[in-house]
Amino acid sequence: MRKTPCLITLLLSCGLFAQPNCEAYKYHGDDLKYRACKVAEKRAGHYQFSRAYQEALDEALAIDSTFAYAYKVKSTAYLKSGDFITWKELIDQAVKYDPEGELFYRASCRYQFFRDYQGAIDDIDLLDSLVDYDIGYSQNGDYHLNIVKALCYKGIGSPNRALEIFEEQLSDSTHFTGIYDYLHLGVLYLEMGNYSKALESFKRQELENDIAENRYYSALAYKAIGNRKKWLENLELAKKKHEQRERMFDPYTENMDQIFLSDILNEIEVSLNSFNNN
Amino acid sequence: MKRFFFICIIAFASCTESDEQSKYLRWVGDSEFNPKIDSGDFELCNSENLVRQYFHFDRGLGYKGGKKELRKIYAEAYKQPVDVDQSGMIRIRFIVNCKGETGRFRMISSDLNYKAQTFDKKITDQLLRITQSLNGWDIHSMNEIPQDYYQYLIFKIEHGDIIELMP
Repeated sequence: MRKTPCLITLLLSCGLFAQPNCEAYKYHGDDLKYRACKVAEKRAGHYQFSRAYQEALDEALAIDSTFAYAYKVKSTAYLKSGDFITWKELIDQAVKYDPEGELFYRASCRYQFFRDYQGAIDDIDLLDSLVDYDIGYSQNGDYHLNIVKALCYKGIGSPNRALEIFEEQLSDSTHFTGIYDYLHLGVLYLEMGNYSKALESFKRQELENDIAENRYYSALAYKAIGNRKKWLENLELAKKKHEQRERMFDPYTENMDQIFLSDILNEIEVSLNSFNNN
Repeated sequence: MKRFFFICIIAFASCTESDEQSKYLRWVGDSEFNPKIDSGDFELCNSENLVRQYFHFDRGLGYKGGKKELRKIYAEAYKQPVDVDQSGMIRIRFIVNCKGETGRFRMISSDLNYKAQTFDKKITDQLLRITQSLNGWDIHSMNEIPQDYYQYLIFKIEHGDIIELMP
C-alpha cells in the first residue's frame, strides 16, 4: 500500500494525460470527437511546449470545439510557464465540456501552482456533488483530493475544518496513504498545540516516507514538550536527510510545509545555544 | 550534389514558411529579443533554440539561499503603496543565462479570478526593479555544459501587498 502513491506519481509523470482511446468515441457514435481525437494524436513525440504539439491540438479543436481533453493537454505548457491567464481560459473550457473528468485537474493545479485555496475547495466540492464514486487524486498523484481540500482549509486559516477533513479521509479504509499525508497532519496538530498527536502522526509518517521535514517538525514537537535530547537528535537527522535530498520535492513548485536547509541550521543553532546556556 | 542543395533549400524554405504562418514561436512562452525593451548587454550563451525551462534540471527553483532568501529580499525591498488597493497575480518571467545573468523580462498580470488586469506602476515598477536586481540564480548544466533557461516568479498581491511568492 505504501508504494501505491509513488506508483501513481510515476504513472502520472511519465504518461501524463495519455492519449484517450479514440476508438471508444467511434464505438459510442461520436464521429466528430473520434476525428478530433485522431488528429490530436499528431502531437505524439512532440514536447508539450512546442509549436507542433500546440498546432495538433488546435487542429483537433477546430474539428470538435467541445473536446475537453484537448483543452486540458494544451493548457499544461501555459501552466508550467506561469501564464495563469491563458491556462485558466483553456482549463475552464475543459471543465465546461467535461466537469466530471477535468475538475480534479483544475482543482489541484489551483492549489499547487497558484495557492488559490478557495478556488480549489470550490472545484473539489463541485466535483464531489457531481459524482457518486471516489473523487480521486491530485494531478501529480501526491494527494487524495480530500487531502488537498484539507490543506486548502489550512491555507485559508481554518485549521479545525482542515483537521476534520484529514481525520475523516485518513480513517477511510479505502484510502491509499499519500507520501506526505501524515507529515501534513502532524504539522497541523503541531500548529494547533497538540504535541502528542503531532508526534503520533510523525511516527506514522516515518513508516511511510521518513523525510527531512518529518524529522524537523518532530524536533519542534519535542522542543515544545521539553525533550531537549530528541529535539537535537531529530534536527541532526533532518540535516542529514536534507543534504541527501531525502526531502519534499516537486520540480515545479514549493510544497506546503516544505523546509529549507537554513531552517534546520537555524534551529540547530537555537538548540545548541539552549544547551550551552543551561 | 546540386540535387542535394536543392532539397536543402526547399526544406529550409518550407520550414521558414511554416514558421511564419504559425502563431506559435518555438515553445509556448518564448521571449524573442526586442531591442525596444531588452538590454543589448544580456546575451545567451547557447542558441535561441536551446533555452530551457527551470524545471528541466529537476532541481526546482534554484536561488542562492533558496526561496526563503527570495522572500526575505522582497519583504525588505518591496514597499506596499499606501494609495493603491489592488489584488491579483503578477508574473515576471525572464531568462537566466549560463553565467547566472538575467534578461528579457516579461510581465503579465491578472485579478484574483485570473482575468487580465493592469496593476499600478507603483507595484509593478518595484517588482520589476527588485527582480532585475537579483543575482543569485543557480547555473544549471546538462552534460557539464552550462545552459540558458527560463525562470519566472509569481507574486500574489492583496491590497497592494505581496502575500505569496511562487512557484
